[in-house]
Amino acid sequence: MKKVKSLVLAGLLAFAPALALNSQAFAQDNAAVAAAPADNAAAPAESSVNAAAPAAEAAPAAKVAAPPRMKPTPGIGMPSPGEISLQEQFSPTGHTGRWLHDKMLLPIITVISIFVLVLMLYVMVRFRRSANPAPSKTSHNTLIEVIWTVVPVVILLVIAVPSIGLLADQYKPAPKDALTVKVTGYQWYWGYEYPDNEIPEFVSNMLPKDKAEANGEPYLLAPDNRMVLPAGRPIKLIITGADVIHSFAVPSLWVKMDAVPGRLNEKSFTIEKPGVYYGQCSELCGARHAFMPIAIEALPPAQFDQWVLSQGGKLQGAGAAVTTAAAAPAAAPAEKL
Amino acid sequence: MMASLPPSPFDRERRNRRTLVTMAGVGLAMLGLGFASVPLYRIFCERTGFGGTTQRASSDVNVRAAVGHSMSIRFDSNVQPGMPWKFYPEHPTDTVTVGARDMAIFIAKNMSDKPVTGTASFNVTPTQAGAYFTKIQCFCFTQQTLQPGEEVRMPVLYYVDPKILADPDNRDTQEITLSYTFYPVEQDKKPS
Amino acid sequence: MTTITADHHGDHAHDHHDADHKPAFFQRWFMSTNHKDIGTLYLIFAIIAGIIGGAISGLMRAELAQPGIQYLQTWAQYSDGPSATLDQAYHLWNVLITAHGLIMVFFMVMPAMIGGFGNWFVPIMIGAPDMAFPRMNNISFWLLIPAFALLLGSTFVPGGTGNGAGTGWTVYAPLSTSGSAGPAVDMAILSLHIAGASSILGAINFITTILNMRAPGMTLHKMPLFVWSVLVTAFLLLLALPVLAAAITMLLTDRNFGTTFYDAAGGGDPELYQHLFWFFGHPEVYIMILPGFGIISQIVSTFSRKPVFGYLGMAYAMVAIGVVGFVVWAHHMFTTGMSVNVKMYFTAATMVIAVPTGIKIFSWIATIWGGSISFKTPMVWALGFIFLFTVGGVTGVVLANGGVDDVLHDTYYVVAHFHYVLSLGAVFGLFAGFYYWFPKMSGRMYNEFLGQLHFWVFFIGVNLLFFPMHFLGLSGMPRRYPDYPEAFAYWNKVASHGYEIMAAGMLIFFVNLIWSLAAGRKAEGNPWGEGATTLEWTLSSPPPFHQFETLPVID
Repeated sequence: MKKVKSLVLAGLLAFAPALALNSQAFAQDNAAVAAAPADNAAAPAESSVNAAAPAAEAAPAAKVAAPPRMKPTPGIGMPSPGEISLQEQFSPTGHTGRWLHDKMLLPIITVISIFVLVLMLYVMVRFRRSANPAPSKTSHNTLIEVIWTVVPVVILLVIAVPSIGLLADQYKPAPKDALTVKVTGYQWYWGYEYPDNEIPEFVSNMLPKDKAEANGEPYLLAPDNRMVLPAGRPIKLIITGADVIHSFAVPSLWVKMDAVPGRLNEKSFTIEKPGVYYGQCSELCGARHAFMPIAIEALPPAQFDQWVLSQGGKLQGAGAAVTTAAAAPAAAPAEKL
Repeated sequence: MMASLPPSPFDRERRNRRTLVTMAGVGLAMLGLGFASVPLYRIFCERTGFGGTTQRASSDVNVRAAVGHSMSIRFDSNVQPGMPWKFYPEHPTDTVTVGARDMAIFIAKNMSDKPVTGTASFNVTPTQAGAYFTKIQCFCFTQQTLQPGEEVRMPVLYYVDPKILADPDNRDTQEITLSYTFYPVEQDKKPS
Repeated sequence: MTTITADHHGDHAHDHHDADHKPAFFQRWFMSTNHKDIGTLYLIFAIIAGIIGGAISGLMRAELAQPGIQYLQTWAQYSDGPSATLDQAYHLWNVLITAHGLIMVFFMVMPAMIGGFGNWFVPIMIGAPDMAFPRMNNISFWLLIPAFALLLGSTFVPGGTGNGAGTGWTVYAPLSTSGSAGPAVDMAILSLHIAGASSILGAINFITTILNMRAPGMTLHKMPLFVWSVLVTAFLLLLALPVLAAAITMLLTDRNFGTTFYDAAGGGDPELYQHLFWFFGHPEVYIMILPGFGIISQIVSTFSRKPVFGYLGMAYAMVAIGVVGFVVWAHHMFTTGMSVNVKMYFTAATMVIAVPTGIKIFSWIATIWGGSISFKTPMVWALGFIFLFTVGGVTGVVLANGGVDDVLHDTYYVVAHFHYVLSLGAVFGLFAGFYYWFPKMSGRMYNEFLGQLHFWVFFIGVNLLFFPMHFLGLSGMPRRYPDYPEAFAYWNKVASHGYEIMAAGMLIFFVNLIWSLAAGRKAEGNPWGEGATTLEWTLSSPPPFHQFETLPVID
């Protein structure tokens, strides 16, 4: 009984935002920014129950225009056609991680594979029946057995040291002044809430193909509402799932964390440059698992503050201070976007 | 076992049966272990704070506050979709002195016209802080029933164990997030 | 490694008439207590399951050949009726991946490796007349039939959004509990229960047989490595499968009887299911590959005409892999929010497995070193196995790093990794074993040319199919997706072409199989020459219905 009920409910939840999207023509670079909070209103009733109180305050404050929707740069924050390597990284742990993979693991495993291949080709040629009709009877050699036990151990130790370092880096908790964003995985969309800025939860649904293309964004990666974050400032995501397990993943920021119903996970990182970074749900969550993409729009801090105000949110005391400090270096790369 | 003479068929059959019984015993033991893992996992989580499981202390426990060491506490609230409750912390964050008791208030309101009973699951992040986040009193210890339209303020009395300051794994922990998720209690759902 | 006294050979010729007395058809095949007949049944079953599982992967590669949804909606009309919705089409995708995984693991690789080759050759290799419990052996096999029927049947009953169980082979809660209404998932779980019971009975049978039924003089340290591999595998099955049984039983009660073992609403924890599943699931991957290790050891030794290099090291490396395999499970759960210390432990423990695996790879090469190699079909497959398993193994070392797993977890890199160790590892082992023992089992030689051709076409096909998946994974393509952004189109296209080549390779295999059974040259007792030293080669091809009525004596 309960299952049927929750299934129907899940269906309604999934369709509500889609309908909302259809009825409100999606506007790119929309100057009349009210569209974004209006979308929030269309968010499923259940998820906005929680946020009802802040939402009431949001309406009068939504006077500030939101920054224009950032255009993604091809090949940045998304996969490139025919790519054979990790995506370019835009977070400090991403750089360490990519270094560990590209400069350490990949060369080591390549060398090992080629070494084994060469050995095999050698024995296959050298000891073929026509070249070596009389087989030896050797079946032991303690020295060589010790060598091929010890050498792999040494290689693994060499790998383990930076690997453990990367882990420690990655799971270093965020500092107190980090911007906290709450991420909730639903079947089949994401909800984002900014408790520090009193921005209630808004949902992020995949853009249909025609709209994504009209918008110059990659289909299946582009959602309607992005998670907007400041560049250059520590971010802490607190992540949970509403129904089944989802996984919040953004490959170009080296971020992947499961959204588990009934428990909270956290993930901290810093985005180095403004830009749009795409990701996809990475834990099988039902029929539309492949159709609940993620997009993070990293803005220079000043523009992020503008966005917060446009959403009817409040600037965080500590956050505003950090904003001014980081504004200068972060502003430059933003221009080319 | 490795006798050079072939064992008689009778011996062999008896030995086979003994091995069969032993191995079936091993299989059953593993099956039992599979089921026993439910309470064992819970005890393990409670003892070690694994997965951010919080600790529990009685109200007469006496902890010395580590004056000068503060910790930010963030409160997170969730309601299972479909449960007609509004549930949110009075303040999203709070700063406490490590070791000192503090009270946080969560507000819950039944938005429906029927009484609804709820029960909460909870954990803290970062998960390694679970072993130190200690609750003395919490609405999550029991089920809560709200009458139609009723709003209640629910307290959590807690402290952060000062031992956290000596734990190298928590060296960088500046903020602990305490999260609750409320679920409706149904007649056919009994706690396992 | 073992030398066999020749005198028992004559005995067989002597009581040939008695030994070959076969029961009538129904009795022989449906109430069989003969390990060779049961082994044959297992192999036939595995081939049928493999055809179905392989066909499903063909559907998947067809859909993935280009971006967009091409065929799913049409196919959904067959499973969900003419009014199938797009969501039901997506659900069908999840059903396909689930069925492919479960079929290949539980109904193809395991029955072929353990049920097929294990049944056929373990008793013979240790000089036993049959398995310890012949009737239980028969039950083990026949339990697979209802299990497979339940799994296939689950495709046609409601399982949430559409028909069939769309939970992935891992059946994670809560997607498999509150997320999948309808009887499909119940049927799939029941199917796993029955298949699991079958394997546990089989495991007990193998352990008893190997411990108690060895011929005089066949000490544990003289057993062929294939027998060692089956012994270790049987212990893994016995220790791991009951835990799976417990885990999925609790899924079943959560689904149907209101318990909340994995439901946070009642104080349960969905992550507990993952811990239990992978406590089974990781040993399970060794269950699939260890018998392959054993087969490769026999073949490499036979065709190099040399005893296996470092026999004891090889045997105990398998034991070590089995033991360590039980303490690394949570590396499948690196992104679930475990604390950093737990991750560090599982990273380190997982990497340790590379050491015994490395010992095996290098010992195989050392076995060939100094040998006199003949490149018969089984040897070619074995050589292919060694290299491709190395490639699959080293990507395992990459994935073992908890920090790197944060970007690779649940991407196609993982798909590439486990297909290299299983599809190019276990399956190469199966083909190697099949060609190696085909003359012994059927009494006829396979066609050497077709065998070699099969190898090369299959080798090129699977590499073209699975190697590009590393690229897809690195650039971020998640697993279990029926559709993908334009950027992933190129390598997906290549992979789908790889599938076509591989499928052509399989056609060659079936042609070879049918031709050889019908018209293959009669095989002598030992077609491989002096390198083949294990007991099965002392018997006729095919062996008498009852072998070793007088036990052989091993020096």
